[in-house]
Amino acid sequence: MFEIRKEDQGTVVVSGRLDAANAETALAFLDGVEGQCVIDMGGLEYISSAGLGVLLRTHKRVSTGGSGLKLVNVNPHIRDIFSYSGFDKLFEIEEAS
Amino acid sequence: MKKKFKRDFSELRNIVAMTEQFFADHENDIEPGYRNVVDLAVEELFVNMVTYNTETNEDILIEMSPHEHGVEVSLTDYDVERFDPREIGPVDVDAPLDERTPGGLGLYLVLKMVDSIHYEYRNRQSKITFIADRK
Repeated sequence: MFEIRKEDQGTVVVSGRLDAANAETALAFLDGVEGQCVIDMGGLEYISSAGLGVLLRTHKRVSTGGSGLKLVNVNPHIRDIFSYSGFDKLFEIEEAS
Repeated sequence: MKKKFKRDFSELRNIVAMTEQFFADHENDIEPGYRNVVDLAVEELFVNMVTYNTETNEDILIEMSPHEHGVEVSLTDYDVERFDPREIGPVDVDAPLDERTPGGLGLYLVLKMVDSIHYEYRNRQSKITFIADRK
Protein backbone atom coordinates (compact mmCIF):
# COMPACT_ATOMS: atom_id res chain seq x y z
CA MET A 1 0.00 0.00 0.00
CA PHE A 2 1.21 3.52 -0.78
CA GLU A 3 -0.40 6.87 -0.02
CA ILE A 4 0.62 10.40 -0.89
CA ARG A 5 -1.24 13.56 0.08
CA LYS A 6 -0.68 17.27 0.69
CA GLU A 7 -1.49 18.81 4.06
CA ASP A 8 -2.96 22.30 4.50
CA GLN A 9 0.40 23.90 5.25
CA GLY A 10 1.88 22.44 2.05
CA THR A 11 3.82 19.50 3.46
CA VAL A 12 3.56 16.38 1.31
CA VAL A 13 3.02 13.25 3.40
CA VAL A 14 3.96 9.82 2.06
CA SER A 15 3.33 6.46 3.68
CA GLY A 16 3.59 2.75 2.90
CA ARG A 17 5.85 1.34 0.20
CA LEU A 18 7.29 3.49 -2.58
CA ASP A 19 8.27 0.76 -5.03
CA ALA A 20 8.19 0.25 -8.79
CA ALA A 21 4.45 -0.46 -8.70
CA ASN A 22 3.72 2.90 -7.03
CA ALA A 23 6.36 5.12 -8.59
CA GLU A 24 4.08 6.44 -11.35
CA THR A 25 1.44 7.46 -8.80
CA ALA A 26 4.02 9.30 -6.74
CA LEU A 27 5.54 11.03 -9.76
CA ALA A 28 2.15 12.15 -11.07
CA PHE A 29 1.39 13.71 -7.68
CA LEU A 30 4.78 15.35 -7.26
CA ASP A 31 4.63 16.77 -10.79
CA GLY A 32 2.09 19.18 -9.30
CA VAL A 33 4.58 20.48 -6.72
CA GLU A 34 6.26 23.82 -7.38
CA GLY A 35 9.17 25.41 -5.51
CA GLN A 36 10.42 24.44 -2.05
CA CYS A 37 8.60 21.40 -0.72
CA VAL A 38 8.84 19.39 2.50
CA ILE A 39 8.10 15.67 2.24
CA ASP A 40 7.22 13.98 5.53
CA MET A 41 8.45 10.37 5.32
CA GLY A 42 7.45 9.35 8.83
CA GLY A 43 5.02 6.77 7.50
CA LEU A 44 7.20 5.53 4.65
CA GLU A 45 8.23 1.94 5.36
CA TYR A 46 10.20 1.17 2.23
CA ILE A 47 11.73 2.76 -0.84
CA SER A 48 13.40 1.15 -3.85
CA SER A 49 15.39 2.65 -6.72
CA ALA A 50 12.11 3.41 -8.50
CA GLY A 51 11.13 5.64 -5.58
CA LEU A 52 14.57 7.22 -5.51
CA GLY A 53 14.13 8.05 -9.19
CA VAL A 54 10.86 9.86 -8.43
CA LEU A 55 12.53 11.94 -5.70
CA LEU A 56 15.52 12.76 -7.89
CA ARG A 57 13.40 13.75 -10.88
CA THR A 58 11.23 16.03 -8.72
CA HIS A 59 14.21 17.49 -6.87
CA LYS A 60 15.97 18.35 -10.12
CA ARG A 61 12.83 19.97 -11.52
CA VAL A 62 12.08 22.19 -8.53
CA SER A 63 15.76 22.94 -7.88
CA THR A 64 16.03 24.83 -11.15
CA GLY A 65 14.16 27.65 -9.39
CA GLY A 66 16.65 27.63 -6.51
CA SER A 67 14.39 25.58 -4.23
CA GLY A 68 14.33 21.85 -3.74
CA LEU A 69 12.89 19.00 -1.70
CA LYS A 70 13.44 18.64 2.02
CA LEU A 71 12.92 15.13 3.35
CA VAL A 72 11.89 14.90 7.02
CA ASN A 73 11.08 12.12 9.53
CA VAL A 74 13.26 9.68 7.61
CA ASN A 75 13.59 6.30 9.32
CA PRO A 76 17.04 4.67 9.76
CA HIS A 77 16.56 2.05 7.03
CA ILE A 78 15.56 4.61 4.42
CA ARG A 79 18.35 6.89 5.65
CA ASP A 80 20.76 4.05 4.85
CA ILE A 81 19.36 3.77 1.32
CA PHE A 82 19.83 7.52 0.86
CA SER A 83 23.39 7.21 2.11
CA TYR A 84 24.28 4.27 -0.19
CA SER A 85 22.85 6.13 -3.19
CA GLY A 86 24.50 9.46 -2.39
CA PHE A 87 21.16 11.17 -1.85
CA ASP A 88 22.33 12.42 1.55
CA LYS A 89 24.60 14.79 -0.40
CA LEU A 90 21.84 15.98 -2.75
CA PHE A 91 18.89 16.50 -0.40
CA GLU A 92 18.33 18.26 2.90
CA ILE A 93 17.38 15.36 5.17
CA GLU A 94 16.08 15.27 8.72
CA GLU A 95 15.99 11.90 10.45
CA ALA A 96 13.03 10.74 12.53
CA SER A 97 13.48 11.60 16.21
CA MET B 1 9.54 -21.69 -0.20
CA LYS B 2 9.16 -21.13 -3.94
CA LYS B 3 6.64 -19.34 -6.13
CA LYS B 4 6.31 -18.15 -9.71
CA PHE B 5 5.28 -14.62 -10.62
CA LYS B 6 4.01 -13.03 -13.79
CA ARG B 7 6.18 -10.45 -15.52
CA ASP B 8 4.32 -7.44 -14.19
CA PHE B 9 5.13 -4.81 -11.58
CA SER B 10 1.73 -5.44 -10.02
CA GLU B 11 3.17 -8.76 -8.81
CA LEU B 12 5.37 -6.86 -6.35
CA ARG B 13 2.61 -6.93 -3.75
CA ASN B 14 2.43 -10.72 -4.05
CA ILE B 15 6.22 -10.97 -3.78
CA VAL B 16 6.12 -8.86 -0.61
CA ALA B 17 3.43 -11.20 0.74
CA MET B 18 5.68 -14.19 0.00
CA THR B 19 8.61 -12.59 1.81
CA GLU B 20 6.40 -11.68 4.76
CA GLN B 21 5.18 -15.28 5.01
CA PHE B 22 8.73 -16.63 4.75
CA PHE B 23 9.97 -14.44 7.60
CA ALA B 24 6.92 -15.33 9.70
CA ASP B 25 7.58 -19.04 9.12
CA HIS B 26 11.20 -18.58 10.25
CA GLU B 27 10.78 -15.99 12.99
CA ASN B 28 12.83 -18.09 15.41
CA ASP B 29 15.85 -18.67 13.19
CA ILE B 30 16.15 -15.64 10.90
CA GLU B 31 16.93 -12.10 12.04
CA PRO B 32 13.97 -9.87 11.08
CA GLY B 33 16.44 -7.12 10.14
CA TYR B 34 17.21 -8.98 6.91
CA ARG B 35 13.70 -8.30 5.68
CA ASN B 36 14.56 -4.84 4.32
CA VAL B 37 17.57 -6.17 2.40
CA VAL B 38 15.56 -9.06 0.94
CA ASP B 39 12.65 -6.81 -0.04
CA LEU B 40 14.92 -4.39 -1.85
CA ALA B 41 17.14 -6.94 -3.57
CA VAL B 42 14.21 -9.07 -4.75
CA GLU B 43 12.35 -6.05 -6.12
CA GLU B 44 15.36 -4.65 -7.95
CA LEU B 45 16.26 -8.00 -9.54
CA PHE B 46 12.64 -8.81 -10.44
CA VAL B 47 12.06 -5.35 -11.96
CA ASN B 48 15.28 -5.67 -13.92
CA MET B 49 14.18 -9.01 -15.38
CA VAL B 50 10.73 -7.69 -16.27
CA THR B 51 12.12 -4.51 -17.81
CA TYR B 52 14.96 -5.92 -19.88
CA ASN B 53 13.95 -9.51 -20.69
CA THR B 54 11.04 -8.60 -22.92
CA GLU B 55 11.28 -11.46 -25.44
CA THR B 56 9.55 -13.99 -23.19
CA ASN B 57 6.25 -14.41 -21.35
CA GLU B 58 7.59 -17.06 -18.95
CA ASP B 59 6.93 -16.48 -15.26
CA ILE B 60 9.84 -15.69 -12.94
CA LEU B 61 10.60 -18.20 -10.18
CA ILE B 62 11.57 -16.93 -6.72
CA GLU B 63 12.97 -19.29 -4.08
CA MET B 64 13.78 -18.47 -0.44
CA SER B 65 15.51 -20.62 2.14
CA PRO B 66 17.25 -20.07 5.49
CA HIS B 67 21.03 -19.59 5.42
CA GLU B 68 22.59 -19.83 8.89
CA HIS B 69 21.06 -16.75 10.59
CA GLY B 70 20.06 -15.13 7.32
CA VAL B 71 18.44 -15.86 3.99
CA GLU B 72 19.34 -17.26 0.58
CA VAL B 73 17.17 -16.07 -2.30
CA SER B 74 17.19 -17.09 -5.97
CA LEU B 75 15.38 -15.57 -8.94
CA THR B 76 15.25 -17.64 -12.13
CA ASP B 77 14.25 -16.22 -15.49
CA TYR B 78 13.53 -18.48 -18.49
CA ASP B 79 14.22 -18.20 -22.21
CA VAL B 80 16.40 -15.11 -21.84
CA GLU B 81 19.77 -13.74 -22.88
CA ARG B 82 22.69 -13.83 -20.46
CA PHE B 83 22.88 -10.90 -18.05
CA ASP B 84 25.18 -11.05 -15.04
CA PRO B 85 24.22 -8.27 -12.59
CA ARG B 86 27.73 -8.35 -11.12
CA GLU B 87 29.07 -6.90 -14.36
CA ILE B 88 27.25 -3.57 -14.28
CA GLY B 89 29.35 -0.46 -14.68
CA PRO B 90 30.24 1.88 -11.83
CA VAL B 91 27.71 4.38 -10.46
CA ASP B 92 29.02 7.77 -9.35
CA VAL B 93 26.98 8.39 -6.21
CA ASP B 94 29.14 11.43 -5.43
CA ALA B 95 28.16 13.30 -8.59
CA PRO B 96 26.44 16.67 -8.11
CA LEU B 97 22.71 17.04 -8.69
CA ASP B 98 22.94 18.35 -12.25
CA GLU B 99 24.96 15.28 -13.27
CA ARG B 100 22.64 12.74 -11.63
CA THR B 101 19.95 11.08 -13.74
CA PRO B 102 17.13 8.80 -12.56
CA GLY B 103 17.85 5.09 -13.07
CA GLY B 104 20.86 2.84 -12.72
CA LEU B 105 20.79 2.63 -8.94
CA GLY B 106 18.82 -0.60 -8.51
CA LEU B 107 21.50 -3.22 -9.13
CA TYR B 108 24.10 -0.97 -7.53
CA LEU B 109 22.07 -1.03 -4.31
CA VAL B 110 21.66 -4.81 -4.52
CA LEU B 111 25.41 -5.33 -4.82
CA LYS B 112 25.98 -2.88 -1.98
CA MET B 113 23.50 -4.44 0.45
CA VAL B 114 23.69 -8.22 0.02
CA ASP B 115 26.57 -10.26 1.40
CA SER B 116 27.20 -12.34 -1.70
CA ILE B 117 25.68 -12.81 -5.12
CA HIS B 118 26.06 -15.66 -7.58
CA TYR B 119 25.06 -15.98 -11.23
CA GLU B 120 24.35 -19.06 -13.37
CA TYR B 121 23.35 -19.12 -17.05
CA ARG B 122 22.47 -22.43 -18.66
CA ASN B 123 20.07 -23.47 -21.45
CA ARG B 124 18.79 -19.88 -21.68
CA GLN B 125 17.92 -19.93 -17.98
CA SER B 126 19.29 -17.07 -15.93
CA LYS B 127 19.54 -17.68 -12.17
CA ILE B 128 20.66 -15.04 -9.69
CA THR B 129 21.24 -16.11 -6.10
CA PHE B 130 22.05 -13.77 -3.23
CA ILE B 131 22.68 -14.27 0.45
CA ALA B 132 21.80 -11.81 3.21
CA ASP B 133 23.58 -13.04 6.32
CA ARG B 134 25.98 -10.76 8.13
CA LYS B 135 26.62 -13.16 11.02
